[in-house]
Amino acid sequence: MLINQFLLLGAALFALGVYGVLTRRNAVMVLLSVELMLAAVNINFVAFDRLIGDELAGGQIFALFIIAVAAAEVGIGLAIILLIFRNRRSANVDELDLLKL
Amino acid sequence: MNVDYHALAPEIILGITVLAVLVVDLLRIPKYWTAVIGLVGLFAAFVPVLTLGFCESLDFCTEPETAQRVLFGGSFVVDTFSLVLKGLFLGATAVALLLSVGYIEEDRYWQGEFYFLMLCSALGAVVLASSRDLVTLFVALELVTGPTFLMAGWRKGDPRSNEAALKYFIIGVLSAAILLFGMSLVYGYTGELTFGGIRAATAALGDSALLTIGVILTLLGFAFKVSAVPFHFWTPDTYQGAPIPVTAYLSVVSKTAGFVGLLTLSYQAFAELRDVWGPLLWILAALSMTVGNLIAVRQDDIVRLLGYSSIAQGGFILVPFGAAVAGNVTGDQLEQAFFATVTYLLIYAVMNMGAFAVVIAGANRLKSTLIADWGGLSSYAPGLAGLLALFFASLAGIPPIAGWFAKLVMFSSVLGVDSGWATALAVIAVLNSVVAFYYYAKVIKSAWFDQVPDTIPAAELRGMGRAVAPSLQFALVLTAVGVLVLGIFPNLIADVGDVAKTVAAGF
Amino acid sequence: MVVGDLDLASGIWHLASRHGGARVTAETVVFVIFAVVSVAGGLVMIGARNPVYSAMGLLMTMFSMAVFYVLNDAHFVAAVQVIIYAGAVMTLFLFVIMLIGVDRDEDRTEQIPFQRPLALVLGAGFLALVLIAARAAWVTGYGLFSGGEVNGTIENVADELFGTWLIPFQATVLLLTIAAVGTIALAQFAPRARGSAEGSGVSE
Repeated sequence: MLINQFLLLGAALFALGVYGVLTRRNAVMVLLSVELMLAAVNINFVAFDRLIGDELAGGQIFALFIIAVAAAEVGIGLAIILLIFRNRRSANVDELDLLKL
Repeated sequence: MNVDYHALAPEIILGITVLAVLVVDLLRIPKYWTAVIGLVGLFAAFVPVLTLGFCESLDFCTEPETAQRVLFGGSFVVDTFSLVLKGLFLGATAVALLLSVGYIEEDRYWQGEFYFLMLCSALGAVVLASSRDLVTLFVALELVTGPTFLMAGWRKGDPRSNEAALKYFIIGVLSAAILLFGMSLVYGYTGELTFGGIRAATAALGDSALLTIGVILTLLGFAFKVSAVPFHFWTPDTYQGAPIPVTAYLSVVSKTAGFVGLLTLSYQAFAELRDVWGPLLWILAALSMTVGNLIAVRQDDIVRLLGYSSIAQGGFILVPFGAAVAGNVTGDQLEQAFFATVTYLLIYAVMNMGAFAVVIAGANRLKSTLIADWGGLSSYAPGLAGLLALFFASLAGIPPIAGWFAKLVMFSSVLGVDSGWATALAVIAVLNSVVAFYYYAKVIKSAWFDQVPDTIPAAELRGMGRAVAPSLQFALVLTAVGVLVLGIFPNLIADVGDVAKTVAAGF
Repeated sequence: MVVGDLDLASGIWHLASRHGGARVTAETVVFVIFAVVSVAGGLVMIGARNPVYSAMGLLMTMFSMAVFYVLNDAHFVAAVQVIIYAGAVMTLFLFVIMLIGVDRDEDRTEQIPFQRPLALVLGAGFLALVLIAARAAWVTGYGLFSGGEVNGTIENVADELFGTWLIPFQATVLLLTIAAVGTIALAQFAPRARGSAEGSGVSE
């Protein structure tokens, strides 16, 4: 049974997502990177679910919830991004500098 | 399936309220009715919280055999701790709703939807107080934060508000992803989702590097939510850009929800892993207090100051967790630490809500949130200046106003532990209290002893008679009475906090 | 534990591997192929200049995810993955990217110095951390769990979903409602810069 391999793949995709969040400037791209991170988490949950032989299917259920919640978050996030785009004609994160530290 | 509807009554009532607000919003009647329904729903949801809390003295209430009501296979637990926190969330949301009424109405925003979102978020917080497994905790946390992303951007035409929403959103989903990765490792190692199961499994399996990473990532996800330094950078921007009532809501309800997650995870799920989270939260507490206070000193905008002050207060709330860093800590001392955190959260909610109520009242009049513009407030608005002094003195921890008692139990929880690390944290907390006192006093001094600045037109000053909206007045009175009563009769809150600590039982 | 159609392939691989020494199962082969696809998709996503390519890269990764779910006996999750993620969510993303403008390549010059190397170090450091921890914890495995058969059918998942997880399920329903209501409320407004639109969107 493959478990280490799935775990490593999950970690790799998560790391790619972290890199994307930190380097992409367009808010839509940042959101896409976060989706990649969530997908990595889902791999972990489903693979662990099978490794454990969870009769309650806890890992699968968790993955389902993550998918549903992520869909809702995407809706919310894209609404905010479109709002900013309509106000400023730009969706770049670091062009937004009205508020400084 | 046999469901204990009494235990679920607060959630069910809030759920009905949420839908009622959404439907009433569609009718062609004045929009303030949506706020009224929301308030009624919040108070109605408070009733079952009381009946559940005083179940033994009520005839109709069938008591469970154990001290707590366990639903859905242990993933949803109604005990005294969760009831106290539910009460806190409902009360704080009611005050936040009162603060919003005038503010949201004024600029013709979408009122009905706003209250809908706020109540949904409150419902999430109420569920979160009872959630005792990773799935429910995660979904409840998302239900708390999801609506707040939208609420932060509610001043749609204002780029600052937009930006506040976007920053908050990106940090929010990023922290959720980190939290979930941690949870997945915890699940993979223990094979359990409920806190009880995780605890049993960690006790049986022992520690491992993977579990440690899982625990750390899970707690770091929450560190974002409670804006602990170094995961705080979104907080000042979001707090300043969001509408002020939303800021008040974020700094109290949303933040407390994060702390509730930290409490249940640390003291229940990861109870056997104190040597992992103890040092981690010790560092976060020390950093949050120090950085939050040092930056707050330099702020000249009162909302931003309260933003950094809430980061620092978050550090104080984390201090009792740091007490667990000592290896020789006893069960009693851990219970004491748990009690200290709950007490601090309760008092912090009242006084921070009050401080934001004053800021909203002042900002409505002066159209400015710069501290310099608030100079001489006492000469034309003595009542407001008095309340300002009251709440800021409470935040600073001056007796006999509520804040001192929070600080007292916080210090006693760390000083009771015989350990160099705990003592060091106490010393850091004392130094920070002094710094905090300085900047809170600076605001009070500005309001009471400075000259009225020339920038405030005389017409504005004369217009001061027309005062604060009734809902805002009500909120001010509620919170002011709250801090005074809790400060003078700290036994009240001590009893409540004492009851609440049963969750940590079993050390 | 390989899915039906793959049993034949599995048998062939077993035969082949008897001679080759290393034991290669169909599961391993499928895993390796789609692992490469998914990582490639991820790389395209974070590397592409054009947002549409990025979205396509993520789409590749999302489809590979569905294959991994099937490999792990999570058939319902796999179906949901394809329908919700690869279907609805990615379409939504593409719509927004089109709306904001496809032709505008993202400006990749960094204004914050060292951000890119820092991100690289953080990402690689995280990966290394998990790898090291995983080697210590997983290579030997542990014997606490029975390792029973996982049942990822809709029936089994639904039993759990509407039983044990009723509260989070309802909360998720509410969260999706929030997304809809919030999006409507945020979208209906007229930017002040356009002048005369006052009140057209604000229907209070």
